[in-house]
Amino acid sequence: MSIEIVHRIINDFGALLLFTMILIVAANQISGAIYAVAAQSLFIAIAGAVLATATGNVDLWIIAGITLIVKAMVLPWLLLWVIRRMDVKREVEPVIPTLTTLALAMVVVVMSFHLSASLDTVRQTITGNALPVGIALTLNGVLVMATRKTALSQMVGLFSSENGIFFTAMAVNKGMPLIIEIGVILDVILAVLVMTIMVLRVRSTVDADIADLHRLRG
Amino acid sequence: MTGDKPLEIVLLEMFLLVLLGPLVTGFIQKLKARFQSRRGAGVLQPYRDLVKLLNKGSVQADTASGFFRSIPVLVLATTVAAGALVPVVQAGPPAFPLGDALMLLGLLSLARFLTAVGALDAGGAFGGMGASREMTIAPLVEPVLMMVVFSTALAHGTTELGILAEQRGASWILTWRAADFLGFAAMLVLLPAETGRIPVDNPDTHLELTMLHEGMLLEHSGPGLGCMMLASHTRQIVTLGLAAALFFPIGLEDAGVIGLLLGTLSFVAKILVLAAYLAVIESSYAKLRLFQVPQYLGIGFVCALMSLALRIL
Repeated sequence: MSIEIVHRIINDFGALLLFTMILIVAANQISGAIYAVAAQSLFIAIAGAVLATATGNVDLWIIAGITLIVKAMVLPWLLLWVIRRMDVKREVEPVIPTLTTLALAMVVVVMSFHLSASLDTVRQTITGNALPVGIALTLNGVLVMATRKTALSQMVGLFSSENGIFFTAMAVNKGMPLIIEIGVILDVILAVLVMTIMVLRVRSTVDADIADLHRLRG
Repeated sequence: MTGDKPLEIVLLEMFLLVLLGPLVTGFIQKLKARFQSRRGAGVLQPYRDLVKLLNKGSVQADTASGFFRSIPVLVLATTVAAGALVPVVQAGPPAFPLGDALMLLGLLSLARFLTAVGALDAGGAFGGMGASREMTIAPLVEPVLMMVVFSTALAHGTTELGILAEQRGASWILTWRAADFLGFAAMLVLLPAETGRIPVDNPDTHLELTMLHEGMLLEHSGPGLGCMMLASHTRQIVTLGLAAALFFPIGLEDAGVIGLLLGTLSFVAKILVLAAYLAVIESSYAKLRLFQVPQYLGIGFVCALMSLALRIL
């Protein structure tokens, strides 16, 4: 594959990733956001496979496979299981109106494209639009975490934030060392597991959401 | 800008749109019925409804002015005129100055405005409510649709749909740029809103307080109602045709009889796919509350704006 085709495919996947990000921000129901983040991870896995064929880097194949299995299948399934198990409210509870969040998300995307245009030399070592898309995904994930009340929907934000970091790291020429990528993925798995267990425990002992913890004083 | 597409072909395309419009509605209704495990009415049912309505007499509210009678004809005329601007079987600009995508969107919103004026004129409570709701939704849909058109137009430096379709002729999903994906996503979000379908409006109901478009048609009867319904069928196929011309202008390159046949076939295929999409969406979602519609359309707005931003930055 020529380098132009790879650039274009990565750009196209960048657009799809941004679309799934919008769906996550605009989702009314937690399950909708989880499906969107699963689709996002799937796109990242495919993009990783494309980069792996283009660069002939075996590590990227492994990373794409791990992303596909862990982040596109196991973790979303885990989150959906928690929702079914806990019988929580299925609606996302935003702190500020979703429409405002959408507007903020848009500002983040446009700003990250605008800013990364000034990073010309850095951008050349990164494939296509991966840098601005990665920054946009990361910051929007933080935005989702900041504007949601319940722990489950904040986890979705953490997920997509991590996806953004992953996408950028993958698109850096020939990818990052395997050990670092695996370390990052393990971090996320651990975080999600801990948070899931915590949510389950908190739910089963006291009926509370994150906003109620503000009143908790030691 | 003028090209070499003769007047006959433009007229043929226009009549094809008007003729096939009710068929698309029938197809969507049939598909929806199958999804609900019903047999459903035949695909030709909208035609039968139209014939029935055209043969009936008409009654008019006492409060309506003389203008009310001309509303259905005007709405039908503007919608059909909008149909002339969509490249259906052959790409390329017409041989005479006709108008571009902005003209098309303008004509569609003129039809919308006339419908709302007619509903207010008749003085019925439902009509007024439907009109005010339609006018609340319209300013959210139309600018976004324009941004989708602009995003495509920006890449080719023209808003003339024929030239756009011609230049994008060879393009297919494999050659799409990143901005095209986002633009198409915005289009997919907008299509149900622009064609008045779930999750924004429900075309099947005449009973709910939530109806938008149907509420505005309540005061019309007989041939007038027939005209309004034909106009909404045509509006639907024109919108689908616009989406097809912007994103899938394939099979429109050749002139000549074989080219025209090929163009017609590919057009029918594209419209059927988009109509099936509408039917699937309509069967799998509930109608949104009116106050949630801006949030839904916000998805389309953000996608369209990002598509524009990707083209510029």
